Amino acid sequence: MEKMKLFAGIIVLGSLWGFAECIIGPAMGDAGLPSGALMTSVFGIGLMMMSRMLFKRRGMQIGMGLVAGALRLFNPFGGCVVCSAIAIAAEGLLFELIWYKMSLDFSELKTITMKLSMGIVTAYSCYVGGYVITQILTPMVASAGFYVENLIVFMPQILARGLLAAIVGGITVPAIFVLKDININNVKDRIYYPTAVSVSILCWVVVIANALFLMGA
Amino acid sequence: MIMGKEKFIPLAAMIVILIGAGSSAYVYATQTTTDNIIINDQQYTIDQIFYIAEPRTFDSLNFSGIALDDLVIKTGVGCLECHEYTIIGDDGYQKTVTWENMQEGLLTKDGMTVFSDLPKAYRIKNIVKIEVI
Repeated sequence: MEKMKLFAGIIVLGSLWGFAECIIGPAMGDAGLPSGALMTSVFGIGLMMMSRMLFKRRGMQIGMGLVAGALRLFNPFGGCVVCSAIAIAAEGLLFELIWYKMSLDFSELKTITMKLSMGIVTAYSCYVGGYVITQILTPMVASAGFYVENLIVFMPQILARGLLAAIVGGITVPAIFVLKDININNVKDRIYYPTAVSVSILCWVVVIANALFLMGA
Repeated sequence: MIMGKEKFIPLAAMIVILIGAGSSAYVYATQTTTDNIIINDQQYTIDQIFYIAEPRTFDSLNFSGIALDDLVIKTGVGCLECHEYTIIGDDGYQKTVTWENMQEGLLTKDGMTVFSDLPKAYRIKNIVKIEVI
């Protein structure tokens, strides 16, 4: 597969992830839903899984995390923005580490038990990992300083909140397998590139416009 | 004997579910429900706290309540800059702040801390204790 196609895939899927984190996540939070767990297990894991399934390449998920994290920086709301951006990028890295030993044709994931189990492990690890990173970075970036005992006493809460992410991740990963037979190489360039560019630009424009609107309000 | 992926992955998923469920049970069992707040080892009701401390408002954040620094002074803590202050919520969530942060903080009537100089992570809901360390 040509590098340009991969690069465009990273940009568009990372932009969709970042868009979800900046626009859909806060809306879910305002609606009283557990946005953190749902964002990771539905959008984060779903889009990273999609990229692995469609492009069958390692390394894309780190790139997607970096793109989504970069987009998060353009939405300066909801606490420590830099910490959120780093946590999103870290989720991409954690996904890569967990899936590193898995074959790119998913030959190990033939049974529903294996798909469900990978979904549970991936979503839980990414959510808990991202949460812990945020808890460490936020006090360091803020003027208050980081205290390890604050993190230790809160660990049961973090581990408990990850349960929802794990359960939803166990649904998301098997669901993404419906895309298994799609071959991205069959998509014509004249459709692929304009679509990827348009969707990416739309995500960035909406996030930046939303940030400017909220700052002006 | 090396465990194959077909055994290891489901086992790891089961362990993850057990950790999540066990932690949920622990959090539920240890959750504190009280109308009182312990400050520097002394117990106060929210009404007492609002009676003794000066009011404070953050217009830009749309929050009002009582000044955290004044509350600590009124509860008799000495050498204010020498200490740090750990604020603990009923769910165990806690954050430690400096005296400078306390001077930019308030406690709302429904028991939440808000600091104008710190991120939202420092908005601790249903606080049950302020430890002076």
